[in-house]
Amino acid sequence: MRRQKKPCPVTEAGIRYVDYKDDRLLARFITDYGKILPSRLSGVDARHQRQLSKAIKRARFLALLPYVKGQTAT
Amino acid sequence: MAKLKIRRNPTRRYEAVYIIDSALEDTAIAEKLEKLQSLLELTAEAEIEHWGRRQLAYKIGRHETGYYIISRFDAVPTVLPEFERALKLDGGVVRYLVSLLEHELGAPKLSDEELALRRRASDDDDDDEE
Repeated sequence: MRRQKKPCPVTEAGIRYVDYKDDRLLARFITDYGKILPSRLSGVDARHQRQLSKAIKRARFLALLPYVKGQTAT
Repeated sequence: MAKLKIRRNPTRRYEAVYIIDSALEDTAIAEKLEKLQSLLELTAEAEIEHWGRRQLAYKIGRHETGYYIISRFDAVPTVLPEFERALKLDGGVVRYLVSLLEHELGAPKLSDEELALRRRASDDDDDDEE
């Protein structure tokens, strides 16, 4: 049995090119630990997944997103 | 053979994000920004967006907050190395990122009509859930 294809959430939001400064959007595509969510779980299409991956990495560099989440401060 | 394309306009559109030490006074930040932007030898005014002081997602050195400024400008690529060098040497700049702005980022601005249409569509969705 084939699983039904999920619509891409980024396309649905009307986004042509993912903005690395939009941390609220990007935060939806990272796991609880801050890792990039695989597209097979999020249903994002390949083009937007590539954009997301780059955007998340840029956002991490700019301290808009954490590299590791849920870590206790020492 | 493909013809080599010669660009008439040597400038390219860039976007720079600066994270400036939030301990600095607003006037000092504005001064610093002006000094940095002047290095770009811009012909047209840069588009500047102040996000202001923001919590950093993680500590950078001793900094826990930063003053974010976004600047979009058209510059000749040859001025960038000197510009980035100045940024790197500037102690007041916690971090910076200069990137090419080749695509319109985010969702395109919707007209009022489209917005209304979309809002109606999402209202319909809500009805389905009930």
